[in-house]
Amino acid sequence: MTTADAKRVDTILKGREGASGELIEALQDIQDAFKYLPEEALRSVSEKMAVPLIEVFRVANYYKAFTLQPRGRHLLTVCMGTACHVRGAPRFLDEVLGQLDIKPGETTEDGDFTVETVNCLGACALGPVVVLDGKYHDHMTAGKLRALIQGTLSKKAKKTGDR
Amino acid sequence: MSEYVTLTINGAKVRAPRGTSVLDAALDYGICIPHLCHMQGVIPTGVCRLCIVEVIEKGRSKVTTSCTLEAEEGMVILAHTDKILKARKNIAEMLVAEAPNSRAIQDIALKCGVKDVRYPFRNKDCVLCGRCVRACTEIWRSRSLGFVGRGEQRHVALPFDERPEFCKRCNACIDLCPMTITPCDGPMKKGEEYFCGKCESQLSMSEDFVDSCVWCRLGEGFDVTGRHAGRKQEDKR
Repeated sequence: MTTADAKRVDTILKGREGASGELIEALQDIQDAFKYLPEEALRSVSEKMAVPLIEVFRVANYYKAFTLQPRGRHLLTVCMGTACHVRGAPRFLDEVLGQLDIKPGETTEDGDFTVETVNCLGACALGPVVVLDGKYHDHMTAGKLRALIQGTLSKKAKKTGDR
Repeated sequence: MSEYVTLTINGAKVRAPRGTSVLDAALDYGICIPHLCHMQGVIPTGVCRLCIVEVIEKGRSKVTTSCTLEAEEGMVILAHTDKILKARKNIAEMLVAEAPNSRAIQDIALKCGVKDVRYPFRNKDCVLCGRCVRACTEIWRSRSLGFVGRGEQRHVALPFDERPEFCKRCNACIDLCPMTITPCDGPMKKGEEYFCGKCESQLSMSEDFVDSCVWCRLGEGFDVTGRHAGRKQEDKR
């Protein structure tokens, strides 16, 4: 962790010294800032907020919203709920995993994509649903999904090309 | 309000200070209720479920763990009814299936009448009794280790898998763990787990001394001081 990162953590923890009740809020803020929970950040959370490290570690592990591994630039969430499942979500999940060569919950080597599965997004009428960086994409098919991923990747290529 | 309460356990009148758990009251009077996660002086959690008893309330019976049940005036407890023995046997069987590598658990299971394990062995080397976690948290106030993960992934872990600086290295977590005593043949191989129950462990002894629990005189649980072997030898003589 660089000093700049440490400073960001300090800013997040400012005013929360000793306030153990705000642990989850602090972790959420760190997760937002870094897209994951770095070990050093958790250590300083424990120190500043007077919460035992094991407690911080336990909470960070317990909630699915927190992750201890760095995530990719794009987060792809595939709904595996019953409605999406019967409409073929497992098939195109295999498709996308094969394309990116990863397993659910993993990040591609170049750090572009993280694929996660979720048990239900509550948008069953739109199923099968895929969420890419917070945007819902309904009635997914393998072809549409491939186009979506390629589109995201080409956008990135364009950006780097512009530079 | 009197300081003592009187309750009936297995038909015997038992007097215990107010606030005692039914399990502690029973053990004080030499009534052995098998138990695993219970430790003296530590807040009971009732996770191993071995100490279940029947409570008779207004003519109805209720099954609950005796370690988390506070003794009350006029309470009627039945600790060894057929219903309880059957349920307890099943629980002990599941504990062995979960962690067959523990002599202590095998011994307790034998004590509960388990002759054979019907469940597939999982060989997890941990039954999540929480003895280590609670000793670390409550006795030593160190909070070096704890439960991490949820559901099937729940396990005892150190933060980031390394021993924190403030760990007092008291080794209570190891001393109190039922897994520290391996079966006499040594650790079992994966896929070759078995329920021993035949060797000359103290368990076989326990059939002669009906009222003594396995790792315990009158069910005191595992040796809190960690000197199991020494005391065991003395007891035998």
